Amino acid sequence: MSILLDPPVQRADVTRAEPRRFLGRSIDFWICATLVIAVVIVQAWNIADYPTVSDDEGTYLAQAWALQHGIGLAPYTYWYDHPPFGWMQIAALSWIPALIFHGHQLLVVGYARIIMLPVTAVSAILVYVLAKRLTLPRWAAALAVVCFGLSPLSVTLQREVFLDNFAVLWLLAAFVLAYSPRKHLWHHVAAGVCAALACLSKETALIAVPALVVALWQNVHHATRRYSFVGFAGAFILVGIQYPLYAVLRGELFEGNGHVSLIGGVLYQIERPGSGSIFASSSNSYTIFHSWLYYDPLLIVGGVAATLIALAFRHLRPVAIAAVLLTLVAMRPTGYLPAMYVIQVLPFFALVIAGVADRLVALITAYRARPVRWEQGARFLVVALIAAAAAFYVVPKWYHGDRTADTADPNAGYQAAATWVADHIKPTKNTRIVVDDGLWLNMAEDGFNGSHHDIYFFKLDLDPAVMANSSLPGPTADKWKDLDYIVSTPYLRQNAVSLPTLVTALAHTRVLASFGSGANVIQVLQVVPGS
Amino acid sequence: MLAAAVLVVSLVLFSIAAATLWWMMHAWRTPEMLASTKFDEPDGTCGHSFSLLLPARHEQGVLEHTVQRMLESTHDDYEIIIITGHDDPETTQLAEKLAELAPDKVRVVTDTHEVKSKAKALNTALPLCRGDIIGVFDAEDIVHPELLVHVDYAFRSEQADVVQGGVQLINFHSSWYSLRNCLEYFFWFRSRLHLQAQKGFITLGGNTVFIKTDLLRQIGGWDPNCLAEDCDLGVRVSSQGGKVVVAYDTQMVTREETPASLLSLFKQRTRWNQGFLQVYRKADWKQLPTVRQRMLARFTLATPFFAAMSGLAVPIGIGIGVFVDVPIVIAMVSWLPVVPAFLVLAFEVAALRDFGKQYNLNVRFIHYVKLVIGTPFYQVTLMAAALRAVWRETTGRKDWELTRHVGAHLVAPAHTSATTV
Repeated sequence: MSILLDPPVQRADVTRAEPRRFLGRSIDFWICATLVIAVVIVQAWNIADYPTVSDDEGTYLAQAWALQHGIGLAPYTYWYDHPPFGWMQIAALSWIPALIFHGHQLLVVGYARIIMLPVTAVSAILVYVLAKRLTLPRWAAALAVVCFGLSPLSVTLQREVFLDNFAVLWLLAAFVLAYSPRKHLWHHVAAGVCAALACLSKETALIAVPALVVALWQNVHHATRRYSFVGFAGAFILVGIQYPLYAVLRGELFEGNGHVSLIGGVLYQIERPGSGSIFASSSNSYTIFHSWLYYDPLLIVGGVAATLIALAFRHLRPVAIAAVLLTLVAMRPTGYLPAMYVIQVLPFFALVIAGVADRLVALITAYRARPVRWEQGARFLVVALIAAAAAFYVVPKWYHGDRTADTADPNAGYQAAATWVADHIKPTKNTRIVVDDGLWLNMAEDGFNGSHHDIYFFKLDLDPAVMANSSLPGPTADKWKDLDYIVSTPYLRQNAVSLPTLVTALAHTRVLASFGSGANVIQVLQVVPGS
Repeated sequence: MLAAAVLVVSLVLFSIAAATLWWMMHAWRTPEMLASTKFDEPDGTCGHSFSLLLPARHEQGVLEHTVQRMLESTHDDYEIIIITGHDDPETTQLAEKLAELAPDKVRVVTDTHEVKSKAKALNTALPLCRGDIIGVFDAEDIVHPELLVHVDYAFRSEQADVVQGGVQLINFHSSWYSLRNCLEYFFWFRSRLHLQAQKGFITLGGNTVFIKTDLLRQIGGWDPNCLAEDCDLGVRVSSQGGKVVVAYDTQMVTREETPASLLSLFKQRTRWNQGFLQVYRKADWKQLPTVRQRMLARFTLATPFFAAMSGLAVPIGIGIGVFVDVPIVIAMVSWLPVVPAFLVLAFEVAALRDFGKQYNLNVRFIHYVKLVIGTPFYQVTLMAAALRAVWRETTGRKDWELTRHVGAHLVAPAHTSATTV
């Protein structure tokens, strides 16, 4: 045993060719850098204006804001709807938009999406590295990154501030570590940590973890296998358990009187009313599934087809299993299917498509190949023709979809409303405004006094602390009179049905400003108790 | 104020536990690393001659078996020197009988010091050694016949000054603490020592250790005043830049037994801890050239005390986090050391299974249960030994408390169910 690192004892001596380097870095580096820059530019262009601001984005940003200002895990009582690591990461990255954008008329939720650009960039790099570690050739790895980052579905969803994008990053990191070429024990332990962090960002990442275990199984050495698995499982459990530990330390693990609970939050998510079967045309799932198909049918359909084929190849099996598990869960008729769910399956679809394409090319060029010049030429010609046909079919559709993403402006109404409120309403200590979370942060920046004056509309009826804070005496049914303004958006109106205080308030308003028309109109309303 | 203290202590404990984890798992970092911890295949020649020192004190129960086994070695140039005390007639008689059985290979030397210790016994034999490599064994060791040939090759191929072979406690079934003791040795000789050798600062074991005779005579033999003379030897050799090679091979490991009772274990640990303290105070390690190496020396010599400390401090930290009113973030940080501590336990469970498979031993579910449940009690024992060592060292008690051996490891490995579980 020398003081220096020992040469491997059980390998033959192999003279490896030095990999070619260009300007001091490898070819892989340049390919990856070019692709990532392309993806980031396409996703960054017009990022604030498309797609429509989602209420969930505003919620996560508001929770990150609460973390940064020391208020807690959320501006209102944190009720364990999701583990908080996702918006902790958002809070950690929020210095980026703050650096670039100033002026409180700008729609915060729109511009805060810049936070997602580094996330997408890192995820794209991880897709490339994972593809190479799956033994795919460079062109297939590049294809995987292109499918992952430039599909209109990705361009739309990955620029939104969703927890799923963070979960995807950690999940990809876990896969990359599990495929450690040196089968390094601490890499496998780190894979367990990353998997736990993915689940703590978005709990649905748990669905893909069995595929990660399969990946690990394929990549351990028999002599250290026991330790790799113990380390992976131990790290996963010990990091994941910090979430219930937090609940236990606050006495909020089990349900009980007068306090929120972790178990309560989990049960809420599990027992949510289902979105119906993905195949039944009247259900929510059907609508959502078809909205995904609207953005990019090729990635969805191609991904499903490629997944089924990829299961037959050992090196592609783990990512195929991940895609299968995520797809099966989406097809549950009794489960709740959110529109952002598809984000988690995108990298796996991209990888299986690239993997199957590689196998197809290998089949055409190498199956029963004879060293005859014209035959080899013919095979390459076939491959080239197939590639050209695919490009002719896919590229225009993607170009069209990406161009919409980079030019359309459905957020004009939100932006206009935000600007109008900033210019025309000067809040005092007691002014109360009711908004959806798309505008919540703008109201906070405008100076509305905390979460009981800048009110997220859901909390009006669902959080007892908000009503209790009202300065009016008398029964709860009259507390709506304490409200001063409401910004009515399509999302608020859709969900107001179950909120009696909000419904009453909406019936006693006059319109101050109106943006857009029809069902998508956004109005700034003043509450008039007497009318 | 309390919160800040909890925070700092928790972070320190976390670092210690994480470092322990890192050092413990060194051998299994990659499959190549694991393969490199074994002996290399020898080339079939024998280049050196060996003098094997075998100090024995009141150990007539096990001595004969040990010597007979050593005489089966395949090496062609070695001698065995049995060292007995002048006040121990039974063992001396047995030793002389064994010398008559193989007069060209076995000699007896009598140690006539008034106050006995292993270091003094070894030093008595040192001038009489004829071989150019000296090896040290204990009276109860089971030595593999091929060991000397492999050690010989290791000296030649690595240009080593010292070769430390593996020692393994085998009687994991005897009691709950012997189970933990066996695993401790498993990690120590399989993994931690290799990292120490790689880093250039190693505390040697007292057994199955081979050192060039010239080097040993040059540095003055063993230190008779140190209770951990093996650790001291390693420190002195490392401090002068000597090259140490460690090799652990399941086939050729020297099999030993754990102390016969918990009290003996406690005394043995006290002696080792006190020895480490003495080595630290002797400050031979200060001769190491770089700051980094000296820090490593401090860390290595303090390891038993770290382990003892963390055993108690982790539950205290958690208790404070739970029962005292500190901010939630501080409470969560106080639980942070639990993460590496539990990972250590998880790896120990995996290692127990590995140990059972490698040595063809029947490790049953009850043994895993004992391993997990025995952890806090073992920590308490180690901590008590560490404290007693500090007390003994500061009050100047330096006598040698001998560990008794009964031959529990001589039971053939398959018959584990017959002995107490």
